Amino acid sequence: MVLKQFFVGARREQAVIGGIKKHIELLCSACETFKLALKAGDRNRMRLVPEMEREGDIIRRGIISLIYEGAFLPYLRPNLCRFVEVVDDVFDCLQETAQHSLNITVPEQLLGECVRVAHLNHRMCEMLLFTFETTMEGKDLREKALAVRIYEKKIDDIKIGILKDARKIPVASFWEGESLSNFLSGLTNISNIIEDATDSLQIINVSMR
Amino acid sequence: MWKVSSGLFLGWSLGANHTGNVFGTGVATGVVTYRTAIWLTALYILLGALLEGPKCMNVVGTLSHLSTLDAFACALAAAITMTVLTFLGLPASTSHAIIGAITGIGIFTGSADFAKLYRIVVCWVLTPVSGLVFAYTLQKVLSFLLDFAVPSLTLRNFIYSVGIIISGCYAAYSLGGNSVANVTGVYVSAGMLSVQDATLFGGLSIAMGTLTYSRKVMLSVGKGIVPLDPFSAMVAVLAEAATLHLFTQLGVPVSSSQAIVGALVGVGLVKDSRTVSRTMLVRIGVGWLCTPVAAGVIVLLLVKLASAGTGSPIFF
Repeated sequence: MVLKQFFVGARREQAVIGGIKKHIELLCSACETFKLALKAGDRNRMRLVPEMEREGDIIRRGIISLIYEGAFLPYLRPNLCRFVEVVDDVFDCLQETAQHSLNITVPEQLLGECVRVAHLNHRMCEMLLFTFETTMEGKDLREKALAVRIYEKKIDDIKIGILKDARKIPVASFWEGESLSNFLSGLTNISNIIEDATDSLQIINVSMR
Repeated sequence: MWKVSSGLFLGWSLGANHTGNVFGTGVATGVVTYRTAIWLTALYILLGALLEGPKCMNVVGTLSHLSTLDAFACALAAAITMTVLTFLGLPASTSHAIIGAITGIGIFTGSADFAKLYRIVVCWVLTPVSGLVFAYTLQKVLSFLLDFAVPSLTLRNFIYSVGIIISGCYAAYSLGGNSVANVTGVYVSAGMLSVQDATLFGGLSIAMGTLTYSRKVMLSVGKGIVPLDPFSAMVAVLAEAATLHLFTQLGVPVSSSQAIVGALVGVGLVKDSRTVSRTMLVRIGVGWLCTPVAAGVIVLLLVKLASAGTGSPIFF
């Protein structure tokens, strides 16, 4: 009975790891889709982002079910679930930003920088995937965590420039202004949440040493 | 044979109270269910009692000369002491209680072997120290080996799961081997039981205590140790088991509670030296002093009562 528990548990753990990888890979695809849609002004492509977010929700529920069905030591489960939830927060922020972008036309003065931020967000997601794989292998996370922080710092610097330029742009109404503000806010907040996800991985790594 | 009943009751209460130190971590961390834990504990306690139990019987049995009624009174006094001190919230050790009771009788009859008693007391003092040293060393060595050879998270998870079960089984085996003499050693001294029968009946009584009444203590002790990460919890139980096993080879029954306290301090020292507290040291000291003294006083009262009841002196 105890041996059976171990073998089934090991399969569940592999399934959880596979699920989390798939979740992050989908996030990377969503970020890339967002970037390409924003660059080309392709609204149809932008509408794919909320669909991907829903798919991400399904994967997330599956992962959490598997975790609490018996994968990993109970000591580790809350940390793993926390990580999965933070990745889902990135998805949610990306989806909201995509929705806001559908309500506005991004001004030409800001488009270039916004695309640059979207590109950096995509790179951060890829780095998050590498960091997760490194955590599972038990290797040192410092370099990858540092890379994520560097990207986040770059985005923070671009954000200052974007907000400065945004103040010079006239808006036709309060709601247009608000939509633009929410879009810019969401776009620059994605990197903060990805950084939080990297910190969660660091906690998981340290807790098992 | 009714005189054996007090020892069996002592064994049952030992099983109910002390097995929390063995599999508390495993149950509280969810690695094993409570049901699996108690059956594994009972099995390995019995194995330990049968295979290693005779080693401590000699020391307990020859500490003083005991009559059959004295043996009954000693076990009963130890059981009462454990109950009262537990009720008062003071740490209580079965080995301290039974040795205190036997020594009480021995002092009164003039048959106490103080050389053996001195050896036993030295081992009691060394018990938490031994737990500390084992835990510190194991934590350092195993941590290095795991970092070097097992970096993968999933493999570590598996090793910790298996390790918690193995260390729990080893701790149960050591507990059985070290503690059975506390339960039935007095009857060997009094000539009521052979060593083999004493280890069998004692082991069974401890196992029954585990199977029937250990749930509450197992869960509360486990939660106390659970704030440790799985690796440290596994190391602490392993160190406790090694300490009990060591003193079993020396033939001296010692306190499993103090072994685990020493082990927890040792584990804490590797990461943070501020785990040693004055309160903890005072509680250990109080346990050392109160338990044997209380048991000695109670056994003398029991014997006096029996004497008064029958109208004639009970021992010579």
